Amino acid sequence: MKLQSLRAVTTASLLPVVTIALAAGIFVVDTITDLEIAIPAFYTVVVLLAVRFCKKRGVIFVGVGCCALTLLSDLLTANTGASHIGIINTAISLLAIITTTYLALKIESEKVAAYEARSQLAHVVRVTTLGELTASIAHEVNQPLAAAVINGNACMRWLAAEPPNLDEARQAVARLVKDANRASDIIAQVRALTKSSPPEKDWLQINDIILATVLLLESEILQNQVSLRTALSDDAPLVQGGRVQLQQVILNLILNAIEAMNRASEGARELIISSEKNDSKGVLITVQDSGTGLAPANLDRLFSAFYTTKPDGMGMGLAISRSIVEAHGGRIWAIPNSPRGAVFQFILPIGMEP
Amino acid sequence: MSENKPVVFVIDDNPSVRNALDSLIRSIHLNVKLFGSTEEFLRFKRPDVPGCIVLDVRLPGLSGLDFQREMASSNIDLPVIFITGHGDVPMSVRAIKAGAIEFLTKPFRDQDLLDAIYVGIERDRSRRQTTATVSVLRGHFASLTLRERQIMLGVVSGRPNKQIAAELKLSEVTVKVHRRHVMRKMKAKSFADLVRMADKLQDSTKTA
Repeated sequence: MKLQSLRAVTTASLLPVVTIALAAGIFVVDTITDLEIAIPAFYTVVVLLAVRFCKKRGVIFVGVGCCALTLLSDLLTANTGASHIGIINTAISLLAIITTTYLALKIESEKVAAYEARSQLAHVVRVTTLGELTASIAHEVNQPLAAAVINGNACMRWLAAEPPNLDEARQAVARLVKDANRASDIIAQVRALTKSSPPEKDWLQINDIILATVLLLESEILQNQVSLRTALSDDAPLVQGGRVQLQQVILNLILNAIEAMNRASEGARELIISSEKNDSKGVLITVQDSGTGLAPANLDRLFSAFYTTKPDGMGMGLAISRSIVEAHGGRIWAIPNSPRGAVFQFILPIGMEP
Repeated sequence: MSENKPVVFVIDDNPSVRNALDSLIRSIHLNVKLFGSTEEFLRFKRPDVPGCIVLDVRLPGLSGLDFQREMASSNIDLPVIFITGHGDVPMSVRAIKAGAIEFLTKPFRDQDLLDAIYVGIERDRSRRQTTATVSVLRGHFASLTLRERQIMLGVVSGRPNKQIAAELKLSEVTVKVHRRHVMRKMKAKSFADLVRMADKLQDSTKTA
């Protein structure tokens, strides 16, 4: 996002100057040449350039301006006497300028519509992700609850036996307590996730966020037979930001890694998540997988919206992740893993004084 | 683990649920074997005793429902009881149509599961008995000569000796002799007994 807007800034500052110079040049040449030569047709180029940096109103202004300049230079050249060909040429030039302006405006409004559609789609994807997350959480909470109920039942049966088997009953209750605590832990995580994020930024320990995300995805990781290793640095400094948003980034990266490893049919399925202090610049978070990896040619497109390598992907996950990381003043990138797989890393700057 | 005591095979990827089921099923004096995946179950050398499978729908690798379909091709006849975290109607219909005993949504009533386990073990026991009987019958049938088999077929389809004799171009006396041999070799106590045996043999060839 930042790169694109940077490019937009440079073009925005240069283009108007070029455009004005071109318009002035056309005006001068048009004025000194005969009326029969249809120089004003080149004003269409001016209009097309204007579209690059002007809004709708600006483009109309440039179009009208070009028409006015055409007529003005006609008046200035008129002392040679108006020929029929000259008038027809002027009319054709005016028509060309007006048509170009109209078409340019139309393309512009369609671009705006496309942009709106895209942001709506992004919203839909977020909502869908939320739905999937909810299903995952429901499953996650239901498992320990089901286990607790079974353990409770088993305990009653051991107690009702003749003679009662107290040892088995005790073990069943111990498991029940563990299951109930686990369910409660998961609910605490969900509460933290759904707590509406306040506009002011919280002080966050990135390791807590990583562990909370891993806990949410535990069954996903287990289900896909992925072996997970975490290497979280103890001296990782606090960062300032939105807990839910950063969790969304880590969630996206982990889900991508799992999917990439599912598409790679063979070899170990290793997911490594680490955090470390990165000089004084911030915290470096790394999510490393042994999946299908990245084609070097696609590295720079990876984070663009709608770019995807998945058969049914939408190309939104990494784009959203990048906008979140950049909103936190950080940077995200990807490099190939060796011997295979991908490494996704992002840096979050250390917050000011806590 | 005493011999011939039925075994319940529990396949669930969640260790908490697995251990809880282990305790619950042992509390009604049944043997339990726990597995985290279907692959683990397939690697296990099953004892030759009646049993049933308690199978989680959501599993790593092959899902429970897919595994149920695979079981037939791997010659595993054990009855299946499904347990699932979030079952929907199509899922349960598919499971029951494919022959599952029960489809239970977690958390379920313990009695429902234990009842289903009893039904499953009973079904497996009777299937094992039928298989045993049929293999004995097959042995008897294999000892018949070709001629005797032809005559047995005629007899059990209700044709009189005279007609069988005419069809096979034999004398009626010869047919009667063969018929006696058939009754003896098949260890049939009566004509009705022989007809029932023929039915069982026919059923087993149909399903095989």
